[in-house]
Amino acid sequence: MSNSPQAAEAPIAEEETPSSLDESAVERISEGAPSWLSERRRHAWSVFEDTPFPSTRSEEWRYTDVSRVVNLADLRLVTDGGLAENGSRPAGLVAAMEEDLAASGHAVLVDGSVVHVDLDPALEEQGVILTSLRSAVHEHGDLLEELLATEVVPPEDGKLQALNAALWTDGVLLYVPRNVKLDLPVRVTRWVSHAGSAVFARTLIVAEPESQLSYVEELLSDDFDQRTFVSSAVEVIARDGAQIQFVSIQQLGRDVFCQSAQRTLAHRDAKLDTLNVSLGASVTRLDLNSRLLGPGAHSELLGLYFGDEDQHFDHNTSQDHVAPDTGSDLLYKGALDDRAQSAFRGMIRVHRDAQRTDAYQTNRNLLLSDECRANSLPNLEIQADDVRCSHGATVGQLDSEALFYLLSRGLSQDQAERLIVLGFLGDVLARLPLGGVVEKVTRAIERKLEHV
Amino acid sequence: MPENQLVEGLGLDEYQYGFVDEEAHVYRTKPGLDEGVVREISEHKEEPEWMLEFRLKALKIYESKPMPTWGGDLSHLEATLDEIYFYVKPQEQMERSWDDVPDTIKNTFERLGIPEAEQKLLSGVGAQYESEMVYHSLKEEWSSKGVIFDSIEDGLKNHPDLFREHFATIIPAADNKFAALNSAVWSGGSFLYIPKGVQLDTPLQAYFRVNQERMGQFERTLIILDEGAQAHYIEGCTAPVYSTDSFHSGVIEVVLKKDSRFRYTTIQNWSNNMYNLVTQRAVVNENATMEWLDGNLGSKLTMKYPSCYLVGEGAHGDIMSIAYASDGQHQDTGGKVVHVAPNTTSSITSKSISKGTGRSSYRGLCKVYEGAHNARSNVECDALLINSTSRTDTYPYIEIEGKRATIGHEATVSKIGDTQLFYLMSRGLTKEEAMALIVRGFIEPIAKQLPLEYAVELNRLIELEMEGSVG
Repeated sequence: MSNSPQAAEAPIAEEETPSSLDESAVERISEGAPSWLSERRRHAWSVFEDTPFPSTRSEEWRYTDVSRVVNLADLRLVTDGGLAENGSRPAGLVAAMEEDLAASGHAVLVDGSVVHVDLDPALEEQGVILTSLRSAVHEHGDLLEELLATEVVPPEDGKLQALNAALWTDGVLLYVPRNVKLDLPVRVTRWVSHAGSAVFARTLIVAEPESQLSYVEELLSDDFDQRTFVSSAVEVIARDGAQIQFVSIQQLGRDVFCQSAQRTLAHRDAKLDTLNVSLGASVTRLDLNSRLLGPGAHSELLGLYFGDEDQHFDHNTSQDHVAPDTGSDLLYKGALDDRAQSAFRGMIRVHRDAQRTDAYQTNRNLLLSDECRANSLPNLEIQADDVRCSHGATVGQLDSEALFYLLSRGLSQDQAERLIVLGFLGDVLARLPLGGVVEKVTRAIERKLEHV
Repeated sequence: MPENQLVEGLGLDEYQYGFVDEEAHVYRTKPGLDEGVVREISEHKEEPEWMLEFRLKALKIYESKPMPTWGGDLSHLEATLDEIYFYVKPQEQMERSWDDVPDTIKNTFERLGIPEAEQKLLSGVGAQYESEMVYHSLKEEWSSKGVIFDSIEDGLKNHPDLFREHFATIIPAADNKFAALNSAVWSGGSFLYIPKGVQLDTPLQAYFRVNQERMGQFERTLIILDEGAQAHYIEGCTAPVYSTDSFHSGVIEVVLKKDSRFRYTTIQNWSNNMYNLVTQRAVVNENATMEWLDGNLGSKLTMKYPSCYLVGEGAHGDIMSIAYASDGQHQDTGGKVVHVAPNTTSSITSKSISKGTGRSSYRGLCKVYEGAHNARSNVECDALLINSTSRTDTYPYIEIEGKRATIGHEATVSKIGDTQLFYLMSRGLTKEEAMALIVRGFIEPIAKQLPLEYAVELNRLIELEMEGSVG
């Protein structure tokens, strides 16, 4: 954050007594909150209670038995960003924060609470808002009342979405006014420090007409020896003609269950692209829904995953073409080693009025071991006739010809295999070449490949 | 002229097999299903005790399984099943000579062109009317070589050991709700055995006709190909159009031993008041090849996914599927390939056309188990949409264990392109000719696999539907 020295760093709060995930937690979090928010939390809790736990009998959870992944009764809710008692920052977080990358602003979250925010003052002057949700509740109450956990990711979306809407402790609000363009990304670092904790955070991004922004978040932690639950709800709105690039790089430690519910709304002529990189955690579940709501809207959905040991990835995406003349293009690529498993379930829905839709969906899997597993369900539901839609899925092994070529050039088997995997996955990064992201992800993949 | 109006009437929905015969049955059970009905069916067939027990056990399984919530709309099915006749016996015994078949039934099949086809093109014919096979024949040439082509009931009576060795081993009663139902009340269907090395050069055909209103037909077919055997079996189905719904639920089990080759062709043209829920599965052994050619044109709702279990090294499975969904129809069809053994290969090709408010869904599974080294599978689904009210869905499941498999799936959805139409019309074709040509071209890769007379029939139907579509 060295390039923005003017922003004061919030002190890291002392750890509160962690508590269990129940109704009293909802009440406690609601203390001092405006009534619309406490009501919204209570409503979300009642939806949570009325919604059965997802079962593998349901299509959307066919490959992940969440009841075996996480037992909510074993988790402790962290409601205030707590670090080690002496307040010193873990090496992993410090390393991420000190990476000197050009940015429009920064936010740092520890255990779901924002501990630092800075924003380029020139942007602040133009009305850009980058702040913690906790302070936004008071400073930008109207905006949050309208948009937070309402139309974008409401509790009705599912059991875990409801739990997040009831228990979220903090998160990031990024608001960019009409015609304002952010040349550099907003960079967000999210650190989780407690084994056995449950962390609920939300992100709300609003780009007003003709504005432009990019947002890059990193989820980090050390490895744990106890199941830890990191829950996110991400709400992204691109108004008419706005352009948004949203990137999430997940490198959480082992024994984390990382669950993220994301929805993006693209209005007329908006361009809204997402990239989700899943490298860490023991179990990762992503629900991403891209809605194309206005003519001319376009979304790219990019994803990359690389699993080893017993890692489990479950990516559940959907592209909803609601308005005519919209486009979407999805590319999710993954490599799996050891006993890693992945499930990709993608849905293209072309609604009745969405004539002249162009929608594509590709999922490619590279299998590197005999024990790994890949499941791929690329689905289409088309209710308009004037459309161009296609999808493809492949599951395959290392290309033997490419391998042979590299070996003949003097590379070792290991080197050659790494190069092929890197090339296979790097393909996705090339589609969204944001400053720093390609290098960061490439380095992370390389680190992982060293253990192969 | 607006596209929608122009293409009104495109399709195969002018149903020409909807005629009704007088009700001609010698016995039927009361409407609905209970243990008494199952016992009656078994008694009428003079079955051994084990079969009655099998049926009763299956009935319990059927009752315990919930109605599927995926696929098509089955919300009215339960009420329908309370009212249909589960067993209708059309005549006292099955005939081997066409002359002995009762006139009303004979007339029906003659109108459908069955006897004519038999003489010209087929190795053998079976015809089912309501619940029973009314006619079965096999050319002397093949029976003398040990081929058995009989009604399923006669298979049980005359070849009890062979029957029991394979019956319900490929599709056990508990496989799914409708397989359980079929297991409880099955009646009619074919029993086919091709001995070692015997290769039939013309197809066998079975024809299924439902005549009575509110009828449930539960054909059960068991097919065994011994080592190196080859055959092609064709089934066709039609029924009259009634305002009430009818129900057809078949179970077809196929065993392919080493080096054998078998093709099973279905031309399903039920009237569109018919629920058609069928389980078809083949177990394919070493170096054997199974081909399902599945044409679904009729019915109100079809849920059918022919499957190949590739259990022997080098086994190959091929599934080719054409679905045509017109107003009010839902074709939920596809295929399953399960790779268990090494060096197995498979392909699924699906072509669907949705017209009016019709909906076609491709649903398929490609599963590769860890031991199936070098398994290769390719799935291709293409959908053509004719109207803005038409719907198409694609639901493939790809489940792969281990790195030594190569799997691909592709699907495309398109409508009849304006440029294609323009090009053809600029060459002097009328719009209706051009559209017929495009539709024919779309299904051609599969249609060309059909026996000639069926391919001709399919093309004729498409052309017929284009007539008068341009006002």
